[in-house]
Amino acid sequence: MTSIGTGYDLANSIFSPDGRNFQVEYAVKAVENGGTSIGIRCKDGVVLAVEKVITSKLLKPGANKRIATIDKHLGVVYSGMVPDGHHFVDRARDEARAWRETFKTPISTSDLSSRMGGYLQAYTLYQSVRPFGITAIIGGFDSELEAPVDGQVGSGPSIGAGGKVEGKHGGPGLYMIEPSGMYWGYYGAATGKGRQAAKAELEKLNLAEGTLDLKQAVKEAAKIIYIAQQDNKDKEFELEMSWISNADGPTKGRHMEVPKDLLEEAERLAKKAISEDDEEEEEGNEKMEE
Amino acid sequence: MDHRPQAWGRPRDDVYGAYDASYLQANGPNQHTQSPIVTGTSVVAMKFKDGVVMAADNLASYGSLARFTDVKRIRTFADTSIIGFGGDVSDMQYLDRHLTELGIDEAYQSEAGHTLNARNLHKYLSNLLYNRRSKFDPLWNHLLVAGLDEESRPFLAAADLLGTTFTSPSLATGFGGMLAQPIMRRYVPDEAAVAGVSRDQAVEVIRECMKVLFYRDARSLDSYSLAIVTKDGVELRENEKLEQQSWAFADRIKGYGTQTV
Amino acid sequence: MAMFSQNPVLNGPNYSFAEVPKDAVDGLREHRFNPYTDNGGSTLAIAGADFAIMAGDTRLTSGYSINTRYAPKVFKIGGTTSSQDDANLLLSVVGYAADGEALQERLDAICKMYRYRHGKPMSVSACAKRLSTIMYQKRFFPYYVYAILGGLDEDGRGAVYSYDPVGSFEREQCRAGGAAASLIMPFLDNQVNFKNQYVPGTGVGHELKERERLPLPRNEVEVLVKDAFDSAVERHIEVGDGLQIMIITKDGIEEKVLPLKRD
Repeated sequence: MTSIGTGYDLANSIFSPDGRNFQVEYAVKAVENGGTSIGIRCKDGVVLAVEKVITSKLLKPGANKRIATIDKHLGVVYSGMVPDGHHFVDRARDEARAWRETFKTPISTSDLSSRMGGYLQAYTLYQSVRPFGITAIIGGFDSELEAPVDGQVGSGPSIGAGGKVEGKHGGPGLYMIEPSGMYWGYYGAATGKGRQAAKAELEKLNLAEGTLDLKQAVKEAAKIIYIAQQDNKDKEFELEMSWISNADGPTKGRHMEVPKDLLEEAERLAKKAISEDDEEEEEGNEKMEE
Repeated sequence: MDHRPQAWGRPRDDVYGAYDASYLQANGPNQHTQSPIVTGTSVVAMKFKDGVVMAADNLASYGSLARFTDVKRIRTFADTSIIGFGGDVSDMQYLDRHLTELGIDEAYQSEAGHTLNARNLHKYLSNLLYNRRSKFDPLWNHLLVAGLDEESRPFLAAADLLGTTFTSPSLATGFGGMLAQPIMRRYVPDEAAVAGVSRDQAVEVIRECMKVLFYRDARSLDSYSLAIVTKDGVELRENEKLEQQSWAFADRIKGYGTQTV
Repeated sequence: MAMFSQNPVLNGPNYSFAEVPKDAVDGLREHRFNPYTDNGGSTLAIAGADFAIMAGDTRLTSGYSINTRYAPKVFKIGGTTSSQDDANLLLSVVGYAADGEALQERLDAICKMYRYRHGKPMSVSACAKRLSTIMYQKRFFPYYVYAILGGLDEDGRGAVYSYDPVGSFEREQCRAGGAAASLIMPFLDNQVNFKNQYVPGTGVGHELKERERLPLPRNEVEVLVKDAFDSAVERHIEVGDGLQIMIITKDGIEEKVLPLKRD
């Protein structure tokens, strides 16, 4: 830690001579210790998943959700400091509500990410605050249908443009926001302790091709969380997953928890996959020994 | 030149004469709604053994002018309940936005799914209406709320601008109270009769009611919305047309217009 | 062109909202929202020696229309559960139904709070005074209802308290409220309080002795209630459909709903 003792790490708003904000970098460290979160953007929706580390046996299984709903069509998962995550969620809900109030239409995934990116960035500018100790993954599905204005009663002119933009619009969106406020759109995003392994697995899915569908993505997401957890086996964890499809899909454009039966199946497959890997490894080791 | 915002976009005084700004009410009192402006007419609904059927036509009238002809007056809530709006359309839009927000707040508690059933929703709305009337600033609507109650039985109830609430196997607002209710009561005179009515029968009766209303209600339309709510969710069709109208009865009406009987 | 302007242009163009005479307002024309309505119906309460009986028809009207044939007007008050199984009070409300419901819910909430705080249900007399206060607090925007509170007093006798819309109240042997009050009350005066009943052969004129007033037995009172409503239904269009009866005794509250004419 070259920064220690220099004084440049004591506050936001002070750059080190080589142009770094150490407070932000320390925040990233906080994220790197958190349970793994991932998001997958597939052809017909988005899946969010998180490895929820069980910190006490006295906690009720299934309670204390880590994935939050922001608007009907938006979900957020994060790694890092959970209280910071709660505040992030509260703020995101306020942003989504304020957007609806002014524009009478749901906020898009990209607009929400932009607003939240700006919000996090502001926490890197002042002495009086510290940056967010989380990296958040925002998943959403912007309606592909002609979006009605909230409270709209009619369907508008039946002929002529009527203010309607022709062509395809809407679709799945996935963004990841870091403590610095930096955010990008992703096909697959991972953060937290197991991010390296998770990213490697995500890359294998060739998400940019747009061939993976939502149900497959759910199973892949479960598998990735289990794989990413491999290096941290002593800690017990719960898998939490949510998904968002288009209006014709299983969630009807809403962000919801993955139904219990599908979640259980995905977990079963994930466990099977990693145990097969283990066997192969063992076999490999045996061969090596030979 | 006057650059005050009040003067923006107004004809020049020196050219066109003084502008009558009395309507601007620059520093008058706040106005509460004293009467509805753009209005929807009847909403009709009846229970059947597995749920509720509701219908409302797609017209919004401006006095006697048929002003908007594709206004959808049945709204869904959380894919489990429906609300039919009679009365002021702008107040309906206000309520609709309010309910959208409520629906999102509900969605935050994803664990148990939606926690508000139709009964809860009706109580919420009637309290809202009662509180507004108590502030002398009413929401000028008469609502029908339909869905399932906490025990998954069909639920149907009404709430009006005064906060008056009631529930019945069949309900109708406005003109429907005079014309449709007697028809529906033939099929569901009491709660016990609901179990004997099938979905198809109920839809049939409701369609018949819409036809009767179109015959006799001058503020009605032959295009309407029909919603069916059951445990499987809401089925909402917003562009139904009245079929097999017969105006033969009109021939027998005497005593109006220029006829000399 | 300035000549068309209603006010003189002095030096070049000017705007004149503030100065322009407003459209003459010829007196006040006001169309006000009326926050009240009457939903019809009638209620009735009679106190017995060891019971109180509260009754109301179940019709709810708007003008000449029947909104519903089943809207109860008698409520159990002050129980600890949503089913109100352990309630010890009865309240009937008639008049403007929305105010009635609001009043009922408020009194119920207050009685519940009392019960949680004191560990015992509210007595009828205490609740009676409290209800009066609630209603009087809205003296200048009243609950448009005729309320009757029923229960058993500290000595186990039937108690009936009746109210006007602004909270004036009185303990009585019996009371009819609502649309058909004027039809039922004289009948009650005669049949419960034995008004104009004299003992035969006790003299003429002022010599006549009044029939001794005794509390009626429960079975007779039940018949009386049914008769009162059957008669009211005949003569009042806003009364009918169903008769809800609640009887409170030391063993709890019994409820029954009997049919009335639906015409």
